[in-house]
Amino acid sequence: MAALAMVAGAALAALEQAPDSTRSQRLGALRLAAAARVKEEGLPSVANEHWKYTNVSRLGERALRSATAGDGASVSAASFAALELSTDSALRVVLVNGCVRDDLGAGGSLPQGLRVRSMAALQEQDPERLATLLDTDVEAGSTFQALNTALLGDGVVIEVDHNVSLREPLHLVMLGTGDDLLRSPRVLVHMGRNSELRLIEEYVSLDAASGLTNSVCEVRLAVGATLFHHRLANESAASSHIGRVAVEVDEQGQYVSDSLAFGGELTRVDIDVNLVGRGARCRLNGLFVADGQQHVDHHTRIEHRVGDTHSAELYRGILDGRSRGVFNGRVLVARDAQKITAQQASNNLLLSRLAEIDTKPELEIYADDVSCAHGATVGELDAAALFYLRSRGVGAADARALLTYAFAQKIVDEIPLPGVRRWLETRFLGHTRYSQLLSALESL
Amino acid sequence: MLEIKNLHVEVAGTEILRGLNLTIGAGETHAIMGPNGSGKSTLSHVLAGREGYTVTAGSVTFNGKSLLDLEPEERAGEGVFLAFQYPIEIPGVNNVYMLKAALNGIRSYRGEKELSAVEFLKVVKARVKAIGLDDSLLNRPVNSGFSGGEKKRNEIFQMSVLEPRLAILDETDSGLDIDALKTVSEGVNALRDGKRSFMVITHYQRLLDYIVPDHVHVLAKGRIIKSGPKELALELEARGYDWLLEEAAA
Repeated sequence: MAALAMVAGAALAALEQAPDSTRSQRLGALRLAAAARVKEEGLPSVANEHWKYTNVSRLGERALRSATAGDGASVSAASFAALELSTDSALRVVLVNGCVRDDLGAGGSLPQGLRVRSMAALQEQDPERLATLLDTDVEAGSTFQALNTALLGDGVVIEVDHNVSLREPLHLVMLGTGDDLLRSPRVLVHMGRNSELRLIEEYVSLDAASGLTNSVCEVRLAVGATLFHHRLANESAASSHIGRVAVEVDEQGQYVSDSLAFGGELTRVDIDVNLVGRGARCRLNGLFVADGQQHVDHHTRIEHRVGDTHSAELYRGILDGRSRGVFNGRVLVARDAQKITAQQASNNLLLSRLAEIDTKPELEIYADDVSCAHGATVGELDAAALFYLRSRGVGAADARALLTYAFAQKIVDEIPLPGVRRWLETRFLGHTRYSQLLSALESL
Repeated sequence: MLEIKNLHVEVAGTEILRGLNLTIGAGETHAIMGPNGSGKSTLSHVLAGREGYTVTAGSVTFNGKSLLDLEPEERAGEGVFLAFQYPIEIPGVNNVYMLKAALNGIRSYRGEKELSAVEFLKVVKARVKAIGLDDSLLNRPVNSGFSGGEKKRNEIFQMSVLEPRLAILDETDSGLDIDALKTVSEGVNALRDGKRSFMVITHYQRLLDYIVPDHVHVLAKGRIIKSGPKELALELEARGYDWLLEEAAA
């Protein structure tokens, strides 16, 4: 049996032995059912259409151990401060191996109307409340989600009250450390009517951490609520990352997401958005950068359940070495969900002859008055632009680097994360003189 | 400075330049005119080093070096600049950053110290003023969303910063209204310092009212069929090219 399923089996056994009184019946039952699903189904195989291009069998073979709070105890404020993060936000919550570390957070009191709680604390204090907030559909997502539920330990519950707009972004730092650990953070975001929040969910590693991060983020947007969600997977080369984001958007609500994937050996991100109220809209952008033997897979699924809902999607991939990228964009339009618009574009840059991309739009439309468009491109750098730069005196290698950087810029331009721009600059240009010049220009 | 001898060039198996000879001395401005399809743009691209052009015979010597053996960026380093007929839009690359990378590329080719951001911006500021360019163009992606006139102005602005020894203007007047034509020409004339050479490729005499050449050449069917003083351009304007083509055929 695959090692990950054994982890689930152990969780199942532990749950079966635990006395009922220590946990809510509902929560306990949910976790038991999730563990049973993992044990029965195992991990998705390449025979499964949604996992056709991403073979996770290697992950299953590894002897991983489910991380506990004790595994991250050695992370100090000093080692945390040395990390290069995407932004310096005043509202910062830090999880080490999926467990909240209050001492590393930004401290201070939260703005009014925003509640951020540790899931472990909520499990202790109010398990019934937690059970109502969690997605109780054990069949939702792949068995990775079920595995996360079975192992439910810590995570973050974020609630924004009605009519509250927060200026300061909330920064979740998901730090991985230690060897061969299975990290299972869970994030719940509940946005009240007409509320607004910018959330940064950043996955990073300390040194050469290894293992698997298997995260689940559930988002619910009430009427008129807006969430800007920047998701950044930038873990160490020896780590893998499986992430799922499940979103429900009610009437006039808006979900705006950027999913950036740079690090890790194997990365798979599933973003699943349900537009359930009229006027609901989402914009999903993404950028993945891979080299060497890295494998990055994005699967998005947008369901227009009612009419007058709108989605737009733009994903860009830059693949070098022998890396492989996957983009699968599924759009479903429910029966009689009229007057919807759905746009999708997937642009990919292959920098090496051995790099590979599999990009696929999937449209299922059961309404007739809809406007859906999709397009995918796979290419090399624009020869005319390359010649133009070289004719000006820019060396061939620099010209290539600059055009590659520019390709990524399209996605990161609108993201208020200076660290991401610095990372891309260093990655492609080998320095940060680009942003230095731009800031010098601004002060001119 | 520039010596082109018996240049034969093919594009996709078709011979476009068929034994072209041309010599441009330091500080001189030469106009190249000629009917459509005569090889004017091919000439400019071959000199700048664009891929897809096969030189089957002849030589191009620039300040004693064989230009055809150099990469495009090395030619820029030697001082060759091509102002494109259709400047390329490069979304995501800042105009000023590209120019800084270009200038420092050229400086490093010449063994000169690279300029810092502050030193570079000083140069840019001075040039913007001299050319009368709208400085909002600076902080935008290269040519992206520029109007036709803005693109041409941007070419001349880049030229003024890079200070080439030989500037090739490929139909810089095409698509310009009379005001833009004047501004662009003033920009070019400001760079005529008696040492810098210009090759001005154009269909129309109009541009040559503003950028007055020392010599005018007529390019037809891949070779120079007539050369003369600046007055030749006026004669071409009045009589067209047919008489010359007939003369050449005879």
